Amino acid sequence: MKKFPGSKGLVFNEDLLINQSSKGLSGVNMPSNNLSGVHIGKTAKDYIDAKFLRNEENSPLLLPEVSESTTVRHFTRLSSWNICVDTAFYPLGSCTMKYNPKINETIASLNNIKNLHPMLSAAYIQPVLKIIYEFNRLLCGLTGLNEFTFNPQAGAAGEFTGMKIIKKYFEVKNEKRNIVLIPDSSHGTNPASSYIAGFTPVEIKTLFADKPDGHSSREGAQNSGKDNEFVSIQSKSKGYIDITELKKYINEDVAAIMITNPNTFGLFEKNIREVAELMHKNGSLVYMDGANFNAFIGNCKVSDFGVDILHLNLHKTFSTPHGGGGPGSGPVGVKDFLKEFLPVPYISVCKQTPNNKQAADDDEQGDYYELKNEKEHSIGRISSFYGNFAIILRAYSYLLSLGKQNISKISEIAILNANYMKKRLKDTFIESDPFPEELCMHECVLNDNVFQSEGISTLDFAKSIIDYGFHPPTIYFPKNIHGAIMIEPTETESIKTMDSFIDAMKQIKKKGNKYSTKSPKNTKIRRLNEVLANKNPIFK
Amino acid sequence: MNSFRYIPASIEEIKKIYKFIGIKDKKELFYKIIGDIHLIEGKELDFMPDQMDELSLYKYFSDINDKLRSSGSIPVFAGAGIYDHYVPSAVDAIISRAEFYTPYTPYQPEVSQGTLMALFEFQSMLASILQMDTVNASMYDGAESLAEAVLMSLRIYRQNRQTGSDVGNSKKIKILVSKSVNPIYIEVVKTFIKDLDIVIEFTDIDPKKGYTNAAHLKEKLQENKNICAFIVQQPNYFGIIEDLEIIEKIVHSEKSASSSNPHLIVCSSEPFSFGVIAPPGFYNADIFAGEGNSFGNYMNFGGPLLGLFAAKKEFIRQMPGRITGKSKDDKNQDAYLFILATREQHIRRQAATSNICTNNSLNALRAAVYLSLCSKEGFKEISLLNLKLSHILCEKLIDTDLFSLKYTGNFYNEFVIEINNKKMNASEYINEMMKKGILAGISLEDGGNAVLIAVTEKISIKDIDNYVNRAVELFS
Repeated sequence: MKKFPGSKGLVFNEDLLINQSSKGLSGVNMPSNNLSGVHIGKTAKDYIDAKFLRNEENSPLLLPEVSESTTVRHFTRLSSWNICVDTAFYPLGSCTMKYNPKINETIASLNNIKNLHPMLSAAYIQPVLKIIYEFNRLLCGLTGLNEFTFNPQAGAAGEFTGMKIIKKYFEVKNEKRNIVLIPDSSHGTNPASSYIAGFTPVEIKTLFADKPDGHSSREGAQNSGKDNEFVSIQSKSKGYIDITELKKYINEDVAAIMITNPNTFGLFEKNIREVAELMHKNGSLVYMDGANFNAFIGNCKVSDFGVDILHLNLHKTFSTPHGGGGPGSGPVGVKDFLKEFLPVPYISVCKQTPNNKQAADDDEQGDYYELKNEKEHSIGRISSFYGNFAIILRAYSYLLSLGKQNISKISEIAILNANYMKKRLKDTFIESDPFPEELCMHECVLNDNVFQSEGISTLDFAKSIIDYGFHPPTIYFPKNIHGAIMIEPTETESIKTMDSFIDAMKQIKKKGNKYSTKSPKNTKIRRLNEVLANKNPIFK
Repeated sequence: MNSFRYIPASIEEIKKIYKFIGIKDKKELFYKIIGDIHLIEGKELDFMPDQMDELSLYKYFSDINDKLRSSGSIPVFAGAGIYDHYVPSAVDAIISRAEFYTPYTPYQPEVSQGTLMALFEFQSMLASILQMDTVNASMYDGAESLAEAVLMSLRIYRQNRQTGSDVGNSKKIKILVSKSVNPIYIEVVKTFIKDLDIVIEFTDIDPKKGYTNAAHLKEKLQENKNICAFIVQQPNYFGIIEDLEIIEKIVHSEKSASSSNPHLIVCSSEPFSFGVIAPPGFYNADIFAGEGNSFGNYMNFGGPLLGLFAAKKEFIRQMPGRITGKSKDDKNQDAYLFILATREQHIRRQAATSNICTNNSLNALRAAVYLSLCSKEGFKEISLLNLKLSHILCEKLIDTDLFSLKYTGNFYNEFVIEINNKKMNASEYINEMMKKGILAGISLEDGGNAVLIAVTEKISIKDIDNYVNRAVELFS
């Protein structure tokens, strides 16, 4: 029998902390602050009107009453119930769960950096502004675009910012355009972001048979006995934007197309340049969702695809930790003609040294960085300050550690690994590969044909692979692949790890549904009752 | 040997993969995928710096950190939306566990119970501090959270209007905002609603007291029947405590065109205040949106922060973001998971309640650990200490006769003073104080003489005396 990382061990029980309270206990000692004399004995009503005060009877404060040691043990035990990148292969498709370098954490926790107030005057924060400025230059170099904003705090905020920029662009041009075209192979945030920004998203089908008459998928559907909304492999599905289909949607009301590239099938949008040409001819813009930029970094510039505007996810391609759901960072890059619409505040650099440069460094070759809040056509502010600086810092450190010598290896090996897995899965899962002839990019997608033939659902598979010691891939997404399984190994996984995962997949199929419907078995808790949770929500 | 330390593949293994997938080299690999689109090569990467080994990298940033000594390790009397509270070592120790910081969103609850249970505790503790029914698992920051609160209020208003009477259907929907709300928050709200056909209007503040002018609020509400919400900040941007009891009565006694009352949206950038003052839920706030960075998070030059979002139970299905819920597993054990996911973008696409996906989960976890450490009494005590210290500084500054209090309403840990000496404006004053190693506050407006000053528990009496003495020196 093959060795897999999953095993059994002692798992701790742990109650909610509030249930461990003993009246009066606390995990902090009050700072003394050298408080003296009259102030020590004073209470709140000595300073403010009693009518404003919190009253324990009306507003009971339900915080735990525990010591520091109890708190630390509690959260440490909780942490042991998580699978994470540092403990297991985490091939969550479209999320780029690569290794998070430890040096970046050390740097982000340097004392003076993490304690900086964001409203210090520019003279006192030159090194910080320089980091943001230089990181901006590096992203411009890597993408071929001309300017980035770092204010968006995550990918979806980046999309929203991008959509607002497009709105403003047409407003200034005095053109009314309300539609954003979004291929069905895009991320779910795309239609949501464009809608919230005031556009009408229109979906474009990308996954159909060669003859785009809407009927040719029937044959495949019959063969596999599936819902004919979904495409089976026999129907020569394409998986990227079809120019003939796209043309049907192009009109004077189209503001932009929003393309996830590589798309959520893990495929390169082969027609992207032609798409861009068509859009530009129509006076429309091309927005690229760059969440999957790990497939391009160091090897392709998005400017060569005809992209006008793009967002990146620093918590994906640029190795910053995912934090159990965030924080992230979603910088947006634009071409020159869109610069004037970028949000405020922004950083500008000037050569001469202003008189008030007392605290600035004397070794910076005369460059002085300023924070500007005004810009005539800016979309305005989208976040409290300058975005997630501590994330930007980690990402910058990541690029410095890679340097020009290593930067192009990232996407090369990410693509190699995904294709290695795709090909190694072929002997067992060929019937599940919707795109058997294609090389994928950073991730590969399977449908559930093969597992279903054993009576195993995609969910069963996902829960089963947990017992082998792996985090499941993304499942049931993209929606137009039946029972989708989306595997993204990233460049930071070894052949041994990928082999072990593939062997586990094959073993799950072999063992059949008797085993998998009862999985996972080795975890702290078993499968959850989602219906119950949604019917009668308990949220505190 | 591997080609880079984060890549666990040797040169031989890479060759092996190429061979296995039947591709000759990188050129062919990319050609087969991207066709004749340009592949970056050689000198084109010269804009990138040379690779740095770990030691050089550490030294490089360590130097930067040293250069920032005079701005990153000085007493901070600046707030204006972000406050310099102490972070206990236990918070850093827990957050540095890879089990917490390296996974992603808990899509698979069976292997994410740690994150989920911690988020559930976060929600529970915040719900109690705010006295609100439901708290979500975090937003990005206070400003964005408030903007989402406005969008939510708007959705509810539109739904009610469709089902309710037709009165005022043709009129533009308005939101009403107190002028005492953080101007940055207002700017972000404006960006969000700009293309949505909504009008934003403002209510005045009492120029002496610094809080919302209730009479003006009443007037505005009576003039307009198509207001979906009123936004007020507690404590407000000037640090002043708003009389939410009066405000709530006014807002909730007016009927809007949706045949329901306008929503009372309370925002806050210093929820630590709710250890001392009555929380928004006590005043029947419909939605709360705010900044939770004060709980166990560093200022980080403004990000990441912690967006807080809470609402009444009846609005739970209209809330943005992720909500952690409690359920049972197959063996009837308590288990946690994200609930009501059908509100969210990955299922509902454009019909979702928000586009938010990645949020600030780890910052929420920091808050959970921090609040657990504080415990019930500690939280109240630290909150009181903030109040005391700020009043001590304020008193001492006024006693110098160099400053006057701009707003005389009750304040929590932040207040506005005006410089009496016309020779120096607020920015010049702050700049001069920086030279003396003190971040003395925030200039309230360009060229003005008003300084917004905040005090937290990190400030000692010694720091306060030093502040006062340096200020006296400056003007003598």
